[in-house]
Amino acid sequence: MNLQKAAFLLMGVYFGFVLCRTGVSDFRLIYGFFTGINFTLAGVMGVAIATAFAGMRILKVKNKTLQGEPLKIDYKGLHRLSLLGAAIFGLGWGMTGSCPGTVLVQLGEGKIPALFTFAGLGTGTWLYAFLLEKRK
Amino acid sequence: MEHTIFNVIFVERWQWWAGGIALGLTVPLFYLFFNTALGVSTGYGNLVKIALHPKKLRWFNSEKFSDVWNWRFFFMAGIITGGFLSSILSGEFSLKFFMDEFTGFIQMPFTVSFFYMFFGGLLLGLGSRIAGGCTSGHSIHGISQLHFPSIIITIFFILFGAAGANIVRLIFTGRGI
Repeated sequence: MNLQKAAFLLMGVYFGFVLCRTGVSDFRLIYGFFTGINFTLAGVMGVAIATAFAGMRILKVKNKTLQGEPLKIDYKGLHRLSLLGAAIFGLGWGMTGSCPGTVLVQLGEGKIPALFTFAGLGTGTWLYAFLLEKRK
Repeated sequence: MEHTIFNVIFVERWQWWAGGIALGLTVPLFYLFFNTALGVSTGYGNLVKIALHPKKLRWFNSEKFSDVWNWRFFFMAGIITGGFLSSILSGEFSLKFFMDEFTGFIQMPFTVSFFYMFFGGLLLGLGSRIAGGCTSGHSIHGISQLHFPSIIITIFFILFGAAGANIVRLIFTGRGI
């Protein structure tokens, strides 16, 4: 394992730790948000977006990474089926109270049902590749 | 409980704003260290390729998955470890077979809930691939860069998330919005 992969592992530990401590890997928080009982999730996401925005603004002043490269900002475009995908994702999010990141946190927390969400995520990803193949 | 530094960080649940700041910092840190956008869901492609070697599906042969042990794999492994460490340190770790945490609001038989979670996961996997990202890639990274597609897609995530949760509540509890 090289240094960069070790760094990504550590970054993952940080990301998973924060998600868990903030409580967003708790089904009740997501369900509470979608049913209007508890808006903690909106607060967390709002502050996260604002922090990321501010941090990126500062980083863009010098426009350099630690290695001295200019930043390559990723841009995900819209295509014909994007919103259909977003709707499918949303239904899954509302059903399971989990997203692709928090499922991993739930696995770490010992929540057995998350294994099934996890298996479903893999199957859904495979299904995407399969449907793509059929369309060609 | 005493508000020692240890308890505030490792045992008590964080304030929403503190969690939001810590979460948002990952976006600039990803660029600073790795010049890469934060994102989780694409990594499920790595996992499927590792588990199934689907040679006939060309999508898995794309350049993205030329190295299945790339950063995405290690980032995902780290997230599981982070959840584990957090729940061990707070004393909350245990194997939870009961669906209470997930379905405390929604009454459903134990076995049904497993199929339910699998199906919901399938929608998450399929949907995030078609939409090109998930809550980290679109909703945190994309919106923070004021990318219009990510904003529209996140609005759809939330609208259909609310629809999904309320339809499920209606089916399993008989209570509407």
